[in-house]
Amino acid sequence: MSDDIILALRNATKLYAGVPAIENVDFELRRGEIHALVGENGAGKSTLTKVMAGVVALTSGTMEVNGVAATPRTPLEARHLGIAMVFQENSLVPTMTVAQNLFLGQEKFYNRLRGIYIAAQQFLQSLNFDVTPTATVGLLGAAKKQMVEIARAVLHEAKVIIFDEPTATLTPEEKKYFFDLVRDLKRRGVSIVFISHALEEALILADRITILRDGRHVVTDDAAKFDRARIVQAMVGRDLSNTLYGIRKNSVRPAGERVLTVQNLKMAPMVRNNSLSVFAGQITGVFGLVGAGRTETFKVVAGVLKRDFFHGGEVILNGRPVRYRVPAPAVRAGIAYVTEDRKVEGFFETMSVARNIYLGLLAKMPGGRFFLSGREADKVGKTWVEKLKVRATGSDIRVVELSGGNQQKVVIAKSLVQDPELIIFDEPTRGVDVGAIVEIHELIQRLADEGKAVVVISSYLPEIMALSDRILVSRQGKVVEEFSALEATEEKIMYAAVH
Amino acid sequence: MIAALRSFTDRLLGRGEATITVPSFDGALKPNQMLEKAQTLGQFDSPEDLATDGHTLYLADGAVIRRFDGAETSELRRFEAPITALCCLPDGGLAVALDGREVRLFATPSAASAAVTFTDPAMNAINALSCTPDGTLIATDGSSARPYRQWVHDLMERGRSGRVLVLDPASGKVRTIASGLAYAFGACAAGDEIFVSESWRHRVIAVDPEGHQRTVIDHLPVYPSRLSSAASGGFWLTAFAARTQLVEFVLRENGYRRRMMAEIDPEYWIAPKLRSGQSFLEPMQGAHIKTMGVVKPWAPPRSYGLVIRLSAGGVPLYGLHSRVDGVNHGAVVAVEMDGALFAVAKGPGRLLRLPLAGIEQELRA
Repeated sequence: MSDDIILALRNATKLYAGVPAIENVDFELRRGEIHALVGENGAGKSTLTKVMAGVVALTSGTMEVNGVAATPRTPLEARHLGIAMVFQENSLVPTMTVAQNLFLGQEKFYNRLRGIYIAAQQFLQSLNFDVTPTATVGLLGAAKKQMVEIARAVLHEAKVIIFDEPTATLTPEEKKYFFDLVRDLKRRGVSIVFISHALEEALILADRITILRDGRHVVTDDAAKFDRARIVQAMVGRDLSNTLYGIRKNSVRPAGERVLTVQNLKMAPMVRNNSLSVFAGQITGVFGLVGAGRTETFKVVAGVLKRDFFHGGEVILNGRPVRYRVPAPAVRAGIAYVTEDRKVEGFFETMSVARNIYLGLLAKMPGGRFFLSGREADKVGKTWVEKLKVRATGSDIRVVELSGGNQQKVVIAKSLVQDPELIIFDEPTRGVDVGAIVEIHELIQRLADEGKAVVVISSYLPEIMALSDRILVSRQGKVVEEFSALEATEEKIMYAAVH
Repeated sequence: MIAALRSFTDRLLGRGEATITVPSFDGALKPNQMLEKAQTLGQFDSPEDLATDGHTLYLADGAVIRRFDGAETSELRRFEAPITALCCLPDGGLAVALDGREVRLFATPSAASAAVTFTDPAMNAINALSCTPDGTLIATDGSSARPYRQWVHDLMERGRSGRVLVLDPASGKVRTIASGLAYAFGACAAGDEIFVSESWRHRVIAVDPEGHQRTVIDHLPVYPSRLSSAASGGFWLTAFAARTQLVEFVLRENGYRRRMMAEIDPEYWIAPKLRSGQSFLEPMQGAHIKTMGVVKPWAPPRSYGLVIRLSAGGVPLYGLHSRVDGVNHGAVVAVEMDGALFAVAKGPGRLLRLPLAGIEQELRA
């Protein structure tokens, strides 16, 4: 093994209940390199990185760190080997301060908070991280949390840091800042492994890219030798470049009836005097940086959140002012909200696909039902599994066992089964593989073609531009600009979102 | 009792009738500067209404009717009172409303005297005339309480006395087919119905010959005014001012409004205007409307100019705007002739012309 290689896996195989998550995968990480791991959901990226981080153990194969065989069985053991992992769902304790999180597990018998804060302040400043050590982690934005995670990894003198979807919750500006951080870590000699579904990030940031498909290694090469089409083809084994953000719109759907009008909506501190309209037969894209109040606005519309008690503004659905205190009446009125946080708000993970979808139907029924029909649930579930091409062995499989893309399809099916008139998709393809993204996008387009009023909230500009007929740009709690899809450019949209 | 309680809680919480909100200019009404960029054909003392027979454009300017022959305007005839509405009749005649209280029909635009004169004492603020395909003459009477020139008083008094009238030239009689309207301002035949602008309720309604009403379009962010037919089907609807939360608030505060009306010069009321930026005494000043001394196009508009293209069903297709930083405000009428749109911006007293070729594709895109 060359001195250049800090971490290597040979013939790595991990079986779950006899089913291989990764199979005979070879992987090498060089010193001071940024290495992107790319693949569809279920390709085995997370399993591979979890093996490196000691979260799961290999069934067969070997792992070497600095040329020495190593088998970390816990994250602590991996940390002692200089390997740290920053998880997609961050592992910080939200009720503790930044400093407490940084030194978690390293506390002395007599802990002096002031000492911890001073040490944390000095350390964060040395990394040039603008995070207050006394701030409670739960109140930080996604980017700041990411910084704390990174700082913790560096504090533990990690020589290898693994990022699982680090940019999924970051705004474009925050992403840029994150990229700078990663490059800075590289300059310090730290090796980086990062998983991302945003292929452009891999192309921009990585020195080398490894592509996995169905748990197997497909190719590893210098990032400069890849382009988007080659990556996608290697990931899915087919060419999707023309269907995914590839084609610029040359026509837009005309607006139908005004379905939703939001007038001077207020929900302090996130939504500030926000006004907008949504029309039937169109896809209205809503873009903005995190904190722009997009999600909160539409959660108020859907009855998930409440607007301000005094002078909270007006929501008008089909010409009639409405005020939903809970989601149920909104669902009955024809509003479906597909959440951005599917794992927390989207489904019951231990229930079957069919039961989850059936729950969507029950939500539409006034007063619910006293007797539930298992047969009806199975029938509804089966219908929607086929309709949305959910890749599951059956509609009785638990949702937790599905890949991210298929879980998202279940969440969407749960809403569509209600036959809504207004469908709000909040980050519909976050953490979803490219194959499923295409299918979800086709579904969204189809809904608009059928005359439904569709809202797509997304922080990913290419997605907004590929899907939308009209684009609303949100900033500081209100819509500040509207573009037709034909006139919109990334520069124009970003300018409106930032300035 | 329950209504009173509801009214109290609504006022306290800012809900229901007491909601102080205005719709945004978005979708088909997305702002542009098309009306601002329109060619100015002429500046007049008090332009009010336009009419066309398909070949010639007639402009009501104070007490004068001017003819526009494509290059320049000439005086056609003069009256003893200001003209408040004008309409070309299918048989080549002309209908003229004078001071809102009288309607005269002329057999030809240059006829020496009126063939029929309507002087029904109930007519008070006739502000628009329109002819149905069968020759029936429709008039909208904005208010029975205030004369036409005092439209802003009617708004501040929350007037609800507008009417739609049918004028029968044969009998000389006037029939009311709709009443209790919050300032009827403009009408146009739409099949068997008549589309009517109801300014203070920010909507367009359809009234059938029996007087049944239905809402065509509501929740407009503007005060709609006259309607005219578009050559390719549908309508042109003008809006002489845009709604603001400040005015909506003042309209809710009865005591404040009464004092304002009693003590302040109407020119400086917190109310929509046809032009603005003329005096430092105007209620909206400084950072409300300016950044670094430059007027913000998106500022709350004291005056505004908008022409809305409606489909045959009354759905807005696009709008031609003159925003807060513009001058072509107070659009009160727009008519289409020879592939161009002619509009009156009453604020600056301008007759505007906009070639329609390409505009529709550009704006609907």
